[in-house]
Amino acid sequence: MKEMARYAAVLGTICLVASASLAVVNSLTRDKIIAQAQAEEEASLKEVMPAADHFEAVKKDTETLYYRALDKDGSLIGICFKAEAKGYSSTVQTVAGMFKDGTINAIKVVSQNETPGLGTKVTEPSFTDQFKGKKGLEEVQAITGATISSRAVIDSVAKKAEELKGILNAP
Amino acid sequence: MKKLLSEFTKGIVKENPTFVLMLGLCPTLAVSVTVINGIGMGIAATFVLLSANIIISLLKNIIPARVRIPCFIVVIATFVTIVEMAMKAYSPALNRALGIYVPLIVVNCIVLGRAEAFAQKASVGRAILDGLGMGLGFTLALILICAIREFLGAGTLMNYSLIKGFEPARVFGMPSGALLVIGLLVGLFNVLKNRKG
Repeated sequence: MKEMARYAAVLGTICLVASASLAVVNSLTRDKIIAQAQAEEEASLKEVMPAADHFEAVKKDTETLYYRALDKDGSLIGICFKAEAKGYSSTVQTVAGMFKDGTINAIKVVSQNETPGLGTKVTEPSFTDQFKGKKGLEEVQAITGATISSRAVIDSVAKKAEELKGILNAP
Repeated sequence: MKKLLSEFTKGIVKENPTFVLMLGLCPTLAVSVTVINGIGMGIAATFVLLSANIIISLLKNIIPARVRIPCFIVVIATFVTIVEMAMKAYSPALNRALGIYVPLIVVNCIVLGRAEAFAQKASVGRAILDGLGMGLGFTLALILICAIREFLGAGTLMNYSLIKGFEPARVFGMPSGALLVIGLLVGLFNVLKNRKG
């Protein structure tokens, strides 16, 4: 019985020290992590909608639905949004910029973990440039040998664009 | 002095964690597609291995034998979480590339294996040397596998393409290719070892 109490005390102390040191590291890195995520988000928005001066997140509860891209005077040029779908071996996340009339300006694949040399080609300009200036995405060619990864990008962007066009056209 | 040095060097060739001890193969198979991934994973695992070895060797007289495994896991998990937070804060790109495999260092059998087989019986100094040596051995093994797979599977090294018009063999980018490469390298290691011995 006495031994048992000693085991519990040792393990408990180790856990206590461990959680205390994690709390310290967390408080040191938390702000930095949030800032990194924001900077990254901002940079990718800028890339798909270079004409915009600043962006305004449209939120529902805490979830960001899309971003309004505004010019210097604060009038709306278009919107940016994040679309995601399951690819071949990971969730493929794409950021897209769309003008008011529903034309896609540019897209950028921001997160994927697809097969190197095949699925990863969805990040390359030879694929992403196909989206430029398109209203409908039927003509975008999937990459040979990476159909699933390509479809994940095309379909998720097309679906989200369709949803948001309704919002744009509403007065 | 010579004995101390051998605690460090044994991890690199003679007891290489990947090719000889055959530990930690799961993350090795999954991560080793590009050299950058290999270096990142190697450094992260080395840090955890070194820190865990030090703490466990310091606590070796306090931790009762019957609850040693949960104690080791808590220590290891703490360091892994620290690595993950640091990576997110200072190198988000690497963090994204390594993905789930960073938290999985917790169950990387190299770390627990060295704690169990070495650090809990060794002095701090020897535990440090062992941690560094094993970490270096793991990193070098990863880089070797990554380099072969990245070159054959994607035709690049460190994301630079080397030969124009080289049509890569895609299978090396896939897990099956990883098994092939690791198997052949283990075979090569055995041949070299036998010749020496």
